[in-house]
Amino acid sequence: MDTDNTQTFFARNKATIAIVGCMVLVTLLSVAFFLKQSLRLDEAQSLWQTSHSLAKMYNIIGQDVHVPLYHTILHYWQVFFGSRVPVARLLSLVFFILSIPALFRLTKLLYGEEAAIFAILLFSISPFMNWYGNEIRMYSLFTLMVILNLYYFIRIYKERDTPEQQGSAWVWYGVTALLGIYSHYFFFFALTSEVVLFLSHRSLFPSYALKRFLVIASIMIISFLPWIWYVMHLGTISNSSPLLQAPNSVNIFNTFSQFLFGFQIDYVNTILVSLWPVTVLLGFLALRTKRKLTVDTAFIIICFIAPNVCAFVVSSFVRPLYLSRYLILTLPPLYMLLSALAVSYPQNIKRIFMGVLIAVMLGTLTAEIVSSQTPVKENYKQVTDYLEATASPQDVVLVSAPFTVYPIDYYYNGPVAIYTLPVWDRSSYGAIPPFDAATLPEQVKKLTKNSRNVWVILSYDQGYEDIIHSYFDNNYQQLLVKNFSSNLNLYEYKVRY
Amino acid sequence: MTRRPHSINDFLGASVSKILIAINAIFAVIYFCVLVFFFPIGNVALFGFLVLGELFHMWQLFTFLYTVWERKKTAAPNPNYYPAVDVYITVAGEPISIIEETLKGIKAMDYPAFDIFVLNDGFVAQKDNWQEVEGLANRYGATAITRRVGGGAKAGNINNAVKETRNAFIAIFDADHVPHPDFLKKTMPHFSDENVGFVQSPQYYKNFNTNLITKGSWEQQQLFFGPICEGKNRLNSATMCGTNMVIRRTSLELVGGMCEESIAEDFATGMFMHQRGLTSVYVAEVLAEGLAPEDFLSYYKQQLRWARGALDVAFKYNVIFAKGLTMPQRIQYTASVSFFFSGIFVIMNAIIPLIFFFTGAVPFVISTMLLAVVFLPYIFITLYTLQTASNFSFTYQSLAFSVSSFSIHMSALLSALSGRKATFEITSKKKISGDFLNLVRPHIAYIILVAIGIAYALYREGLTASVVANTAWAVLNAAIFSEFIFAAMPNNKVKDTVSKGRKVAATIITSPKKMLKQI
Repeated sequence: MDTDNTQTFFARNKATIAIVGCMVLVTLLSVAFFLKQSLRLDEAQSLWQTSHSLAKMYNIIGQDVHVPLYHTILHYWQVFFGSRVPVARLLSLVFFILSIPALFRLTKLLYGEEAAIFAILLFSISPFMNWYGNEIRMYSLFTLMVILNLYYFIRIYKERDTPEQQGSAWVWYGVTALLGIYSHYFFFFALTSEVVLFLSHRSLFPSYALKRFLVIASIMIISFLPWIWYVMHLGTISNSSPLLQAPNSVNIFNTFSQFLFGFQIDYVNTILVSLWPVTVLLGFLALRTKRKLTVDTAFIIICFIAPNVCAFVVSSFVRPLYLSRYLILTLPPLYMLLSALAVSYPQNIKRIFMGVLIAVMLGTLTAEIVSSQTPVKENYKQVTDYLEATASPQDVVLVSAPFTVYPIDYYYNGPVAIYTLPVWDRSSYGAIPPFDAATLPEQVKKLTKNSRNVWVILSYDQGYEDIIHSYFDNNYQQLLVKNFSSNLNLYEYKVRY
Repeated sequence: MTRRPHSINDFLGASVSKILIAINAIFAVIYFCVLVFFFPIGNVALFGFLVLGELFHMWQLFTFLYTVWERKKTAAPNPNYYPAVDVYITVAGEPISIIEETLKGIKAMDYPAFDIFVLNDGFVAQKDNWQEVEGLANRYGATAITRRVGGGAKAGNINNAVKETRNAFIAIFDADHVPHPDFLKKTMPHFSDENVGFVQSPQYYKNFNTNLITKGSWEQQQLFFGPICEGKNRLNSATMCGTNMVIRRTSLELVGGMCEESIAEDFATGMFMHQRGLTSVYVAEVLAEGLAPEDFLSYYKQQLRWARGALDVAFKYNVIFAKGLTMPQRIQYTASVSFFFSGIFVIMNAIIPLIFFFTGAVPFVISTMLLAVVFLPYIFITLYTLQTASNFSFTYQSLAFSVSSFSIHMSALLSALSGRKATFEITSKKKISGDFLNLVRPHIAYIILVAIGIAYALYREGLTASVVANTAWAVLNAAIFSEFIFAAMPNNKVKDTVSKGRKVAATIITSPKKMLKQI
């Protein structure tokens, strides 16, 4: 009897249990692992940017490649809760956690409860989402806004026959669209997918939809123009942004691989992407009698593919901006499609597919957490801990690329002077000076004039790391080399005896 | 993705957007060109195999796209044209209950003038029930025509009856194909156009949901009798399928009767009519319901006969250069017979990962992702086109059955090339129980070789990207072949809900190779 009641309870509350369970899971993962990690470059920049007054902060962000909603929230978050790294990361975690019920409702709206539960399970164990759901950056906020905006957009056409419910959907659609464009520039890709559906399936929407969309678009444009004007007025976009390469086919598959399996060392990643022919089998298995591709699914496919294609094309022909984290808006559609695919399979295949996918994702999540060579890990804290314990006041620390000085500066409390190569004064207005190999010896000589040893921290290669490294190797005696994480190396050289 | 309720005509009448066809063609060309011209060649022989295989697939794809490009709604010139018809039921020892059901269906046809003839070949086929068949025919007011001298198999049976009957039109049904009451009313008006030589309607398997064999058979049929036959109709190239059809007597006489020299007598006869400038009509509506083979042996034999028949026609009548055919008809007939060459290319594709496992040789030396970038859009758009064309009736099982039939096609090809005489073998009319794993030995062998090959490749070079990618391809092939292996096992039931009470299952096929598919 008790067993029956327990079973009934679980059956009746399956969705609630799944949502709460997933929220608890990501919180536990965060507390146990992700909040404790070393501050990374981008995070250090976020903290540095938001540590200023609002006016100064907008001035800095305006020169960067981002929009200001997240920074504004983070600014006040720190005012209320403090600016320690774990506290700042908690803000992203909040958006990540809120995304779980949002994704559940969105997936359920299109594919039912079973698919929705599977989608949030994937979302919660996603190495990629867990990474950005705990990073002091805007990506989890951006993801939440995309999910909510899609949810209200789909409700607009799903509920066209119930105008009383639709009213709130329109309002929330407008609100999330407005917040969305202020959370990341790539949000426009989500809006573009919606425009494509609206124009190609006009009859799905109520007759007054065009008018309302135009009103919302007008409000968005009016609200966004001041920011655009401000950025144009500053005229110094991306002075401090990392160097990006034009993408190739490998980048595309790495992005998909990262969405599913997170950040793995090259070898593991290569093995994972080499499994791509399996997707053909998954496609074949989905061929079932009368399984018709619905407009909803076509739309979700567009939401997944279009931003990737657009970003790839723009990156190839205009300006490189193809980064998997910018494309995080396509992660919820990907998980939704996988969930819809899973529930469309016969029972046995469904179980195998779900089981294997969950197992591999859990395995890669573990690897991402445990491995010190996870490509996105930046153990600047360990570097500075080491310097504090080892370097003497007669030494000097040189950091390259220059912008990596942010996390080092954040953690380092020792007596040694820190400079960048090329030399950059952060407090001065303008871009980081370009690297010049001809002036390198002179710069080094000047910076190490009174030093006994020089510590060189190299990371985020901007195309000149090898030149700096070779220069020191050829002109100074190397005393130590130490790797702290992928592409983060510390070298010690003797300047004088 | 939503599931729609099943309807008997679901597989018919879908049209494909021309934009989708164009996009599909573009992606196919991009894939092929990148593969052939831009990838650095590895092992030349393997590269040659791969290109040859892809060339064949391009031929299949483009003839398919050409076929489904448009569909013609065939309106009868005179909807009230109801001339007298001779209705034939071809019988060669099928169970009485099955013949009786067909007779009942024919008797119930709503049509002003028709005579029923049971073409009883039971005597010449030395079947025990030939006299029973005569009695059955009498009971239903039909005339039994029992041959005493055999020859020409089903075609000979029909030609014999043609001499003994008189009406200007002849409807032909296999013993297990039960017509709907409106069969003649839906088909005959098309003959008001005096140039129409024959009218064909689809073959529907009402027992499709009995087990994996019936399901697989039917799902294969749907693509052919749906988009392909409808497309052929537009190009005046309808395939004569030997049952559920009506022929004009004068047209049949013009081509010397049903072709007795080929076990693909219907296919060949239809082609002869087209060569004489006669036209054909395909009525895209299920007007008769038949039975699919219910056991793997019967299925295997049926497929083998169809393949052998088509290949005989290809070699004997040279469909590419046959006189009198229009260019679209040549393309259609060539496409139909070329399907049965696909076994060669399935083997070639399947063997490439195996060669890698054991030798390390690869067709080209590129990043596997580069191949994915051109291959995945091409394959998924092609699948979507197939789905759309078949009104979402194209399934994994039909794909698996088509691909896995490579062993059948190879067997037919080898026997055709060796000149072995094709015999018209009547399949058992009772369901044959047991497992038929001996018929899928090549498939089982492939899976075993894959397992050994993966182990060997891992030993040779460890877990490399090449090993993983080739393993994924091999697993894909193995998964497809597995469907066929499962079907060959005993107790391969899908559901028990259908065909209850039918103790005697049919394997049908009085007519070999009713179906000639492109894809």
